[in-house]
Amino acid sequence: MADPMHQFQVTKIVELPTVTVLGLPIDLSITNSVAAMLLAATLVIVFYTLASAKQAVVPGRLQTVGEMLYGLVDGLAESIIGHEGKKFLPFVFTLFALVLFMNLQGMFLVFTATSQLAVTLTLGMLVILTVVAVGFAKNGIKFFKLFAPSGVPGWILPLVVLIEIVSFLVRPLTLALRLFGNMVGGHVVLKIFAGFVIALGGLGVLGWAGAALALTSVVALTALEFMVAFLQAFVFAVLACVYLNDVVHLDSH
Amino acid sequence: MATETHGTVETTEAPAHEGGGGLPQLQFQHWGGQIVWLLLIFAVLYAVLSKVLLPKVSGAIEERGAKIAGDIADARRLKDEAEVQARAAATEVAEARAKAQKTAADAKAKASAESAERQAKEEAVLAEKLAAAEADIQAARDQAMSHVAAVASETAGAIVEKLTGKAASAAELKAALA
Repeated sequence: MADPMHQFQVTKIVELPTVTVLGLPIDLSITNSVAAMLLAATLVIVFYTLASAKQAVVPGRLQTVGEMLYGLVDGLAESIIGHEGKKFLPFVFTLFALVLFMNLQGMFLVFTATSQLAVTLTLGMLVILTVVAVGFAKNGIKFFKLFAPSGVPGWILPLVVLIEIVSFLVRPLTLALRLFGNMVGGHVVLKIFAGFVIALGGLGVLGWAGAALALTSVVALTALEFMVAFLQAFVFAVLACVYLNDVVHLDSH
Repeated sequence: MATETHGTVETTEAPAHEGGGGLPQLQFQHWGGQIVWLLLIFAVLYAVLSKVLLPKVSGAIEERGAKIAGDIADARRLKDEAEVQARAAATEVAEARAKAQKTAADAKAKASAESAERQAKEEAVLAEKLAAAEADIQAARDQAMSHVAAVASETAGAIVEKLTGKAASAAELKAALA
């Protein structure tokens, strides 16, 4: 059986020089992971260029889908952050669109960029650093009130503050690991079941029954993975909104 | 010799990363490039989406909302206008009907007045004729009556003459007949 982890192997496609930043060597070569990200971003741009080209009052199919996704994120930002959500809509939408397209690309092509921890962790850090930046820009030093919820009795406050700080610090990790885990898990399971089809198919008539069962599972899992691909992008956008809302409406925290 | 050692270093290093049962995602030599590229890609995508594409999408959505609202307002305005016009038309019809009825009544009144006048005139003429005829009849009767007196006197004179053999005078006859 083929190694189910092989699909996550990063390989170089175009060799580019390595630069050293702060003593850390950074290999800027275009790998399959970078290529997948580039393709996803390009597809987002192409898709939305086509979807918004006509700006028809009665939209066509492409425009309808484009406006539906936009409306989805718009509704999220509006319902979670409130009327200030419009400001953060482009950021949340970029996250959503990029994650969604990278996830879906993994369903069609051989490489899933969001199954790379480096990618999901970068996105998680991007969200949390944006949250911190927005928090300081909006509230100044009062940003730290985030860790001290109002209405907590004094004697328990140190414990609550400690918990809040820890929970804030693990946010990028949970964001990154949730997406990473879902994508890796799904693709590994798909690969293993697909491997069963080949392995059992070579065992004669009895094996064919098993192979058929495995094949059915692969079909069902593929459908499930399409849903997961969308859902994880959606969850990422929802959580980004929730974290942004925490610092936008710090007073009511 | 230097290149050879370099080569061996690479060949010993590569399997150590790929094998060992570890996740390929934890080969940290690929992290730097992915992180830098992702940040770059994200920045470009963010710029393109927020500056160019999303405003177009939201513009189309808003335009649609405005168009629908405008169309509904237009339709409502037209409906109001139509109602006003219908009301005006209804009053016009009512006016016209009233006018027509008045004209008809006038015509009827005029016609009946004319006919009454004509009838009166006719009646007057007839009455005149009737009076004249009555006068004629009266005159004829009077005349006839006077003839009767003359015939009676003549007849009486003739009878007297036959009986007595001598004619009676006119004065005698007149006194006998009175």
